[in-house]
Amino acid sequence: MILVVGGSYQGKTEFARVNFPNAKYFNQLHKFIKKRIEDGKNQDEILQEIEDVVLDGQWVVISDEIGNGVVPFEENDRQWREITGRILISLAKKSDEVYKVICGIGQRIK
Amino acid sequence: MITLVYGGTSSGKSAYAEDLVCSSKYQYRFYLATMSANDEESKSRIQRHRKLREGKGFITLEHARDIRNSIGDIERICTGNFSTEDLNANGRIVLLECMSNLVANEMFCDGEIYDAGHCIEKIIDEIKELESQVSELVIVTNNVFEDGITYDTETEDYLKALGTINSKLAKEAAKLVEVSVGIPIVLKE
Repeated sequence: MILVVGGSYQGKTEFARVNFPNAKYFNQLHKFIKKRIEDGKNQDEILQEIEDVVLDGQWVVISDEIGNGVVPFEENDRQWREITGRILISLAKKSDEVYKVICGIGQRIK
Repeated sequence: MITLVYGGTSSGKSAYAEDLVCSSKYQYRFYLATMSANDEESKSRIQRHRKLREGKGFITLEHARDIRNSIGDIERICTGNFSTEDLNANGRIVLLECMSNLVANEMFCDGEIYDAGHCIEKIIDEIKELESQVSELVIVTNNVFEDGITYDTETEDYLKALGTINSKLAKEAAKLVEVSVGIPIVLKE
């Protein structure tokens, strides 16, 4: 698995398409996590569901990093940031390669 | 010597900083906690961090503000334990977690709002004083700067103060590390 992270509109998808044209994509992971939280799933269940898909075959997982802002007023938003952060840490550990994309430039950090 | 560890919420920065301290050779490991437990959410955060530190030999000091006062604590604890071993073994390492709480606690205290410039100066002075009393000081600080939202004046003043302090500390620091999805990225060494 290859993990690509970074802020919004940094060119993560484009970077992935150019560098890993033959892989399968799991894009907008942070939004998937948000939906699952709204469905009442907990962190472990969501991680399991993601891993069931992406640990099989050549996958590129793309996600926004959403924890780099002021603590949100809404509890749901705070919970979403934390769960997304923790899931990304778990996925990064299992990834063969991790890239952080800033202004379209991908830096390999693992 | 200062090491600055920077990262967003749930980025793995605390775990990284704790590993850094635990792999050091110093006899005394202090954890200087700056978060005050005033609601259930902070209490559960504090619990999570306590669990992370369990069994790692940290001596916990709690100072939500006026971190200068931690120097007295450290002196009292260390002078009670004389040892004939070498200096390194007698050294002290302090993990301050975290700067974002300290700045908030200094600026917004008991219903008062204190001047950002004054708080910046006070915190930097106290950090320098603390640094001079220990072998190594590891400071965890937050990236709260990338959501693109313009907040009210108080919050913006706070963000500017934290950003200024981070930059000043990075200048002094021997090492600056950003942690992203649990992975350390060395920005200065």
